[in-house]
Amino acid sequence: MTVLTDIFKSTLPPPTRKSERWKYSPISKLLNSTLSTDSSEIDGGFSNEIAPNPVEGLEAYRLVFRNGKFNHSLSDLPIAKGVICMPQSEVSGEDVPEFKNTYSKTEWVGELNESYHQDGLFLKIDRNIKLDRPVLIHHLTDGKDVASFPRHFVRVEEGGEVDVVVWSSSTKNSSGMYNGILEASIAPNATLTLEKVCNEDGKIYHFSHENIIQERDSKFKMHTFTVKGHWVRNELEIISRGKGTDSIFNGAFLPTGNEHVDNHTTMDHTSTDGTSSELYRGIMYGTSTGVFNGKVFVRPDAQRTNAFQQNTNIVADRGASINAKPELEIYADDVKCSHGCTVGQFDLDALFYLKSRGIDEKAAKALLVEAFLADVISSVPCTELREEIMKIYKERHGW
Amino acid sequence: MLKIKNLHAKVGDNEILNGLNLEVKPGELHAIMGPNGSGKSTLAAVLAGREAYEVTDGMVELDGTDLLDLEASDRAREGVFLAFQYPIEIPGVSNLNFMKAAVNAKRAHQGQPPIKAKDFLAKVKECSSLVELDGKLRDRSVNEGFSGGEKKRNEIFQMAILEPKLCVLDETDSGLDIDALRVVSKGVNAMRSKDRAFIVITHYQRLLDHIIPDFVHVLSNGRIVKSGGKELALELEDKGYDWIKEEQNA
Repeated sequence: MTVLTDIFKSTLPPPTRKSERWKYSPISKLLNSTLSTDSSEIDGGFSNEIAPNPVEGLEAYRLVFRNGKFNHSLSDLPIAKGVICMPQSEVSGEDVPEFKNTYSKTEWVGELNESYHQDGLFLKIDRNIKLDRPVLIHHLTDGKDVASFPRHFVRVEEGGEVDVVVWSSSTKNSSGMYNGILEASIAPNATLTLEKVCNEDGKIYHFSHENIIQERDSKFKMHTFTVKGHWVRNELEIISRGKGTDSIFNGAFLPTGNEHVDNHTTMDHTSTDGTSSELYRGIMYGTSTGVFNGKVFVRPDAQRTNAFQQNTNIVADRGASINAKPELEIYADDVKCSHGCTVGQFDLDALFYLKSRGIDEKAAKALLVEAFLADVISSVPCTELREEIMKIYKERHGW
Repeated sequence: MLKIKNLHAKVGDNEILNGLNLEVKPGELHAIMGPNGSGKSTLAAVLAGREAYEVTDGMVELDGTDLLDLEASDRAREGVFLAFQYPIEIPGVSNLNFMKAAVNAKRAHQGQPPIKAKDFLAKVKECSSLVELDGKLRDRSVNEGFSGGEKKRNEIFQMAILEPKLCVLDETDSGLDIDALRVVSKGVNAMRSKDRAFIVITHYQRLLDHIIPDFVHVLSNGRIVKSGGKELALELEDKGYDWIKEEQNA
């Protein structure tokens, strides 16, 4: 184990409640802990609690990481023409990826990732190549006070197509920090689909940041599911750099107990004729806390942009709360932009209607929740993944 | 089958039912009429178990079971059905899944296994043709985007699927055009049987031309002030409610 005594002595100061971006997601408890990175042997086993493939029946290429380290024997990499898919630790020469995002310069979390970064996915899809199966990254945190710093790099060349699933899990007694970055660039007419699922037991502070650059007429589709997590911050930044891009990003979060889930998204339209559609739905149970902050920028040159944002939240129990904030900054004059943000409770009339037909309260609520999530879940292209996420939600909430 | 004795109920601080008595036997159809605010819809809501209504006195028994002790869902499983005056739209919940869940909840309550898909579909087909409910409406989200008439037909469709003992129809005729009224009435009449009872709440006698009641009751200030046969409805249509109020005051 390498103890990171200086881990919190970075150039940039850790965020405090004074910073608007971190106001509702304080990390003081994390700063009081002593974390270490795992320096045990690579391929040193996985876990009895969690299977290397977290999605039953899903046929996918797989990269398995444990505490940030790549595990060869549990992984299954594609061998296909026009596809480079491997752990970054094995990339050499001119292929070594150059991370271009500025997150390390602007945020403490980003700087930590740059200072301590470990392994990650290197994925390059050549021109007009379509990978036949999704690429699944499974990251397991296993141990006390463990810090992991994965970095993933994805490049889809012109006309290429690929589906990436990033799944993080942790064992029950684990604690520490997950600090992951994914940088992707999508060339003209290329398509990237990304599903991010956080299903972590234990007490992990989970920070993830996705930085997506879209070129002309490219498509990006993403789902962010916080299925389980003690403290989770999902940051997504999409920059549309060419005309006619299409971005769809949806998310669902159902924290319970005293869990905390924060979703920060930024959609930056810098070029003409782009469309973006965002839908995040949250249900807060117990004494959980939630945050939604969705920024949409439409820059002066981004004429004929069509941007849509919706965030709907249900506060299910007394004691739970959410801070939700849509932010639209529009500097072009020929655009269509809309946003809607609501915080409410279960619809009592609907609940009574269902009960009046013999369905008990629990089952009635389950039907309403399923309906509430349907718009987010049904747009996940992969059936096995969709079913697995629904299965875990159902088990967790006893529907 | 249903015995209501000295029922008092309130919403907030408003006393709405003031000692209502009613007995309904199997096979009977009772119409309840009365001026606005007399407590008709409150009676329906109290029977179905709506939580906002507080029962302060009295008893309601269905075949010897104390209904007031039961949750809304348990009352439904015991055989109470309320056709809503304003059916609720539930986006994202399909009408058929909803009905399947309801049928299976009742079957589980009776110790029976879940219904077979084939049997359920046959039942759906039979019941939807009864109220001429289009296949598309059947498969859509519950009441979402339905017209007023379609919503009411959907209520009767659900009633037919669930085969309740006691059907309470709360102003099912409101918002219906003449054709829809005929269809809904046909559905109700088809379900009349010697084991099933109905309480039909309405403002208008015209519904009772299609659904012939055995008894007509007039509700005023939260109690039944006059009861009679089907001819009472005609008299009310003709003379309004004032003469009953005068009779009471005399």
